[in-house]
Amino acid sequence: MTRSTAADDDGIVLTDASVTLTGRPVLHNLSLHLHQQRIGIIGRNGSGKSTLMRLMAGLIAPDRGTVRVEGDDPTRARKKMLSHLGILFQNPDHQILFPTVDEELAFGLMQMGAPKSDAQAQVTAHLVRHGRSHWRGVSVATLSQGQRHWLCLQAVLLMQPRTILLDEPLAGLDLPTQTRLARAFAALPQRLITITHDPASLTGCDRVIWLDGGSVAADGPPAQVLPLFQAEMQRLGGLDADADLAG
Amino acid sequence: MLTLTSPVETPLHRLRAGVKLAALALFTFALFWTRSPLWLGVALGLVIAVYLTGGTIFARHGARMLRPLWPFIAVIALWHLWQDDLSGGAVVLLRMVAAVAAANLVTMTTRLSDMITVLERLARPLSPLLPPRRLALAIALVIRFIPVLSERAAQLSLAYRARSGRAPGWRLFAPVALAALDDAECVAQALRARGGAG
Repeated sequence: MTRSTAADDDGIVLTDASVTLTGRPVLHNLSLHLHQQRIGIIGRNGSGKSTLMRLMAGLIAPDRGTVRVEGDDPTRARKKMLSHLGILFQNPDHQILFPTVDEELAFGLMQMGAPKSDAQAQVTAHLVRHGRSHWRGVSVATLSQGQRHWLCLQAVLLMQPRTILLDEPLAGLDLPTQTRLARAFAALPQRLITITHDPASLTGCDRVIWLDGGSVAADGPPAQVLPLFQAEMQRLGGLDADADLAG
Repeated sequence: MLTLTSPVETPLHRLRAGVKLAALALFTFALFWTRSPLWLGVALGLVIAVYLTGGTIFARHGARMLRPLWPFIAVIALWHLWQDDLSGGAVVLLRMVAAVAAANLVTMTTRLSDMITVLERLARPLSPLLPPRRLALAIALVIRFIPVLSERAAQLSLAYRARSGRAPGWRLFAPVALAALDDAECVAQALRARGGAG
């Protein structure tokens, strides 16, 4: 990344942010300034990755500290947030809200204030551009898992956010679909923040943040952070410590 | 409802949804207004004739859609036979079959989005209480999540049977309800992420 010093209202800024969910502290005093083009957030299950994603997206509010996305508070400036930030959830069935492809794609545009006819025209043009004009009016229930992922990504892209949060974007997909989606992600002009437990998918990032127990364990270029992470995961895998319950 | 729309194009597909729904309302009203088995028979004949304008494949599909009525027909027929009230039984049966067949006909020939547009227009007087956009969103969510939830129920049923010889039956009710609440939470977040219901 060439731009090492960025203005404070560029990207996502967390200042001493803490989150407690059902009485359990999940994130502790996180202070991060995320402004690089490709950022990876890595950690084990339960490390607070998904909570961090929901925090950045404004879906939950910090108990202490502040979160700013392009200078705005993501829990308050909901309408502005639509052009600042999009999210791709892990399970498409939790993200697709409408029974047909074109309704799903048009919804975000209408939320951003486009009249229905404009939104529909944009959707049709978008499908044609991607060689999928025959998808108009198709029931989402008939799409394959990979096709649903693609639909979710397009629904986000049509809203043209400056940053996209990806939650385990390739988990559970077959290899050709993974390759295809990874290629689609690589070509995007947006800032991408990828949340995953798979170090291999983060080698091309500008910056990797390793989250452990709700705090930053390491933060830097992938060549520096990923070997540390992998070594620690190897070590933990060798122990039989999975009997401990989260308190 | 999505899968109920017939892929066979009929002249009825080209009629406006509002017109069809109004005609259906009038027709059903007339069915309950008359008590003559003869007139009800004529009404049923009329419905069958309209089905046949869509071709035999379409009409046969329409007949198959009436299959869920059989248990009711059997019970009503047996009751009236036992009561020795043949004309009364004929009135009830003809009325029921004609009304359901006519309603199916409208469903089979009307696209869902057109149906929702009509509903939104009808609900406009309620707009201070219930914004039409929100109503449309609610309808869409229901249609979207019926297949998702039934798949979820099927998965849980498989998981149950994998560890038990018997079918789960009512025991599935609580897990399915909890899974539905869980899914609803995720969907609410996805909705909020794209600007909410407002």
